[in-house]
Amino acid sequence: MSTARFTVPKLNLTQLLKAPGGLPVQEAVAAAQANLSSLKPLCMGELHTLLEAAEKTFAGLSGYDEAGVTTLYETAVKGIGLGDVCGAGSVDVALHSLCDLLDHFRTHQRYDAEAVSVHLQAWRLLISTEIPPAGAQAVLGGLNRVSAKYSAPAES
Amino acid sequence: MGLDPNSRARFNLKDASVLLLDETQLGMTILVQIVTGLGAKNLHRCGDIESARSAVENNQIDLAIVDSLAATGQGYDFVEWLRRDAGEPNCYTPVLMTTSHTPRSQISRARDCGANIIIKKPFPPITVLERIIWSSKEGRKFLFSDTYVGPDRRFRNVGPPKGEKGRRREDFTATPLPQGQATADEDASADIEGGPELSGD
Repeated sequence: MSTARFTVPKLNLTQLLKAPGGLPVQEAVAAAQANLSSLKPLCMGELHTLLEAAEKTFAGLSGYDEAGVTTLYETAVKGIGLGDVCGAGSVDVALHSLCDLLDHFRTHQRYDAEAVSVHLQAWRLLISTEIPPAGAQAVLGGLNRVSAKYSAPAES
Repeated sequence: MGLDPNSRARFNLKDASVLLLDETQLGMTILVQIVTGLGAKNLHRCGDIESARSAVENNQIDLAIVDSLAATGQGYDFVEWLRRDAGEPNCYTPVLMTTSHTPRSQISRARDCGANIIIKKPFPPITVLERIIWSSKEGRKFLFSDTYVGPDRRFRNVGPPKGEKGRRREDFTATPLPQGQATADEDASADIEGGPELSGD
């Protein structure tokens, strides 16, 4: 039988946060946001670099290949969060859908080049073009439906 | 948990020793820009598990913001090590776990590693601040057991699950919530934000 012990620790952070001085929430959040804004060009550049790497990996895949799909996953997952910083938040959603898709492939050992291709095309579209929010939503809805299709094992 | 971004309330992170773990250079830069904007100055920037362990072994850490390192999930291993093997006081350090994507195979690791909360990327600065303040609240029990070490994932005792006989002493006194309110299980999953789906903000 397992044993369990509870304690209620004193946290140093609790006292530090209450220490005199510090910053008002409004000022701190604005400063952090301004810091992030300075990273926009870097993040956009990185999204382009990752996309090119993903397209290269994809071009070398002809069917289910654990190592190739993993490389593609590792590339896509690095991009999540960068879109929001450079004002292209819909890219993060597209990359999340791509990671879901690739994770489904690894789980069920399946592969569909068309499903990956449509995600990569959307990635390029969403970072290269200013599309209206409704259009972006339609694209993302389509991507999510594609990745959801592969969440279950293939019917034999 | 909502914190008004226009609040004039003050908080002080200046003297907090903050560990940041992210393997990508840009991911680390984003984290640094957020926490320095929030006023943190004493940062331990770690690009891998080994340097993060070393930072914990040589410093008192007041707050850790740890990426799950999605491809391998090593971030979960680090938090588990922190909770089980780092010793006091660092084993109690509030941990905000960040994640880009959680593969299906890692969902239970995310739930059980012992992080105070999981934040899905992208996360705006206000979300990070909210979670820091929330994680710093004292009074939350900390559990040591064979299978889990970390903050108690239950927020309210509403008794055993429906139809189950309670096994704890307190189960005999728990008053059920009125219908429509959250259950203990729902609250526990809200701890690891969004539960297994690990939804962000």
